[in-house]
Amino acid sequence: MVEHTSKHAAHEVAANERVMFGFWIYLMTDLLLFSVLFAAYAVLHGNTVGGVTGRTLFTLPLALQETILLLTSSFTCGLGLLAARQNKKWQTLICFGITFILGALFLSLELKEFSEFISTGHTLQTNAFMSSFFVLVGTHGLHISSGLLWMAITMGYILKRGLNGPLIRKLALLSLFWHFLDIVWIFIFTIVYLGAYV
Amino acid sequence: MNKETSSYITGFIISVILTFVPYTLVVHHTITGRALLITILAIAMTQLMVQVLYFLHLGRGADAKFNVYFFAGTFLTMLIVVAGSVIIISNLHSNMATIDQTKQIIDSEGIYQVGGELTGACHVLHANHVVTIENAAVSPAVTVANKCDTVTFIDKDTARVQIDFGTRRKRAPYAGLTDITIAKEHTKTITLSQTGTFQFSDNLRPTVLGALAVVDEQ
Repeated sequence: MVEHTSKHAAHEVAANERVMFGFWIYLMTDLLLFSVLFAAYAVLHGNTVGGVTGRTLFTLPLALQETILLLTSSFTCGLGLLAARQNKKWQTLICFGITFILGALFLSLELKEFSEFISTGHTLQTNAFMSSFFVLVGTHGLHISSGLLWMAITMGYILKRGLNGPLIRKLALLSLFWHFLDIVWIFIFTIVYLGAYV
Repeated sequence: MNKETSSYITGFIISVILTFVPYTLVVHHTITGRALLITILAIAMTQLMVQVLYFLHLGRGADAKFNVYFFAGTFLTMLIVVAGSVIIISNLHSNMATIDQTKQIIDSEGIYQVGGELTGACHVLHANHVVTIENAAVSPAVTVANKCDTVTFIDKDTARVQIDFGTRRKRAPYAGLTDITIAKEHTKTITLSQTGTFQFSDNLRPTVLGALAVVDEQ
């Protein structure tokens, strides 16, 4: 019986490792997607066809707020995973709840910025600079949106069924995804926003 | 507090510092240009490593070395893609002149016809007008001139003047020139080869504002 349990545990650890590695491969291919978009932005950001440049358009305090929101959410997400591994259901839910709120705030700031650009006539079609900007930052925003959806669904499951092995694994993947999005944002903050003011 | 929690806290604190440092550097312009760009990119790379170690815990766990290999491989591919694109395209860009740049070359070289067609460039220059920039103001505010006259901008201030053509919101190049930079206490002369009214302003000092009204002689 004891032997059976340990065999089962070893099997689950191996399965976890496999799933984590598979997800890691997905994240790395996603990183390649972002690197191509970064390359496009780096190449095209000067092509404004006489229109405004990033320096006139971007507001740095807003970008800083977004960065701090996402960084804090990445931190609370890590704490949530630790709580889940210690089987603390409510602590897990609170941490991921805070992560969700911070992520949603980040997304709302980004959408507000986008709508301001569009309402002042700087759209995806304006010039190559705006196209590459919207595609790069928008793709990141799309990832954040799907991360939020994933987070909401997983929290619903935890609320209904409590913490179990497969759910903790899902949370581990989710936090890997969320940390990854924060890392991509560091480069958007540095290259797109700070870079415009260099 | 266990080891993993303190790892997250350490990573978070270092990341916050590594966010505020480049922000402050850029806002206050303590250093400028290429040095600033390299510094903020280096700080971003550092923050990447910090988050990979303290948040993603890369390299920890039973079978983690494949994750590390995969990460290193992807990172290398990423650097090649980004750096390669930037180098190739900037090279291409500097070897291909845009319409604005072509106009500028035609004007500065005085090429008044290409293949039997007139380009509009001036080959005989007429009167010279002087526009003085002093105490962050332009005098005269509006310069009325004939086509093929020249305008000399004189910067009597102690600051460098960068004049952009068009309005602050919408730049409109004059005869292929998007902007002219005049070092402090220096002058710059341009040929008025395009007719019409053109606004110009300094993009850092909005009070430096003027206009050129160029009419055809005939």
